Amino acid sequence: MSAVELGPKSITVAGGEFATVADYFALLKPRVMSLVLFTGIAGLALAPVHIPLATAFTALVCIAAGAGASGALNMAYDSDIDAIMTRTKGRPVPQGHLTASDAAAFGTVLAVGAVTTMGLLVNLAAAGLLAFTIGFYVFVYTLWLKRRTPQNIVIGGLAGALPPAIGWAAATGSLAIPPLVLVAIVFLWTPAHFWALALYRTEDYARAGVPMLPVVAGKGQTRRQIVIYAALAVTSGFAPLALGFAGLVYLAANAGIGGWFLVQSIFVACECDVEREPQARRLFGVSILYLFALFAAILVEQAAGIAPFAPLTAG
Amino acid sequence: MTDGDEQRERFERARRMRNYAVAGVLLFLVVLFFVMTIVRLGGHVAD
Repeated sequence: MSAVELGPKSITVAGGEFATVADYFALLKPRVMSLVLFTGIAGLALAPVHIPLATAFTALVCIAAGAGASGALNMAYDSDIDAIMTRTKGRPVPQGHLTASDAAAFGTVLAVGAVTTMGLLVNLAAAGLLAFTIGFYVFVYTLWLKRRTPQNIVIGGLAGALPPAIGWAAATGSLAIPPLVLVAIVFLWTPAHFWALALYRTEDYARAGVPMLPVVAGKGQTRRQIVIYAALAVTSGFAPLALGFAGLVYLAANAGIGGWFLVQSIFVACECDVEREPQARRLFGVSILYLFALFAAILVEQAAGIAPFAPLTAG
Repeated sequence: MTDGDEQRERFERARRMRNYAVAGVLLFLVVLFFVMTIVRLGGHVAD
């Protein structure tokens, strides 16, 4: 085992001197937001009901704003460790462009605005799910789990997995098996994605005192867990086919890019260059491509009217 | 200008920027509610 000792995690952060619109935009974690929005759109498109375009647009704005609010509140609370880590020290709060309270105020207004708007203009089920998602990310993941357990991103991953369910709920006002299957796929995909990142940022996380799996259990254990979760994600990726809500394009995406994702995770398990971790870096990129491909396949099939396979349960 | 004045000015500039950001979010929501109301009323605005 090559566990690394956890380092200090307190640092003084000044701020609020040169805030620009770009700084507030960066608080929203736009890259994370785009993936969240994309999976939310897939949930919305998959729903078997017609939803007015203006309502769909409003729901997507609320999902995006909710994701952005979560990002801003996360950056407000984590500004001390963000300042220590190479990956995050360029964020607006550790850079001193904004104070943590600026980020918290902005995130709170966005969160309340997104949930209220979803409730008043879309429906209460979607608003409730959105509120739960933001609350889970901020209180369960950021405040509770992130600094306490190596299972932080496993459990916390639920927040990032829920947007397809929010999209579906926005269209139907309820939940059903298809969106929950999509939630499960994203949930099982998350550990391999973040542990790939943690493998080549282990020192970073250790210095900041974040108990990511490679930091507390060693890289060997992390490599094994990555393969297990990648296999679980790709296997669960076949569920939409078996349940009869995905077709040929989706099958090609899951078998092709899912297969690549799984093979790449095995390459990570056999990595020789433990200093630079090139295979883990590649896996991080492939994992994003895999999730994007799955949800793009769902959207393409819905837009092009490609029929799903018959469910295996059908007599 | 003393250090205190400079700090005060920085603080006020930062606070102003935060207020603009929050106002921007609220303004966007106001516009969204207005547009959605008009869309939902549709052709019945004059009824």
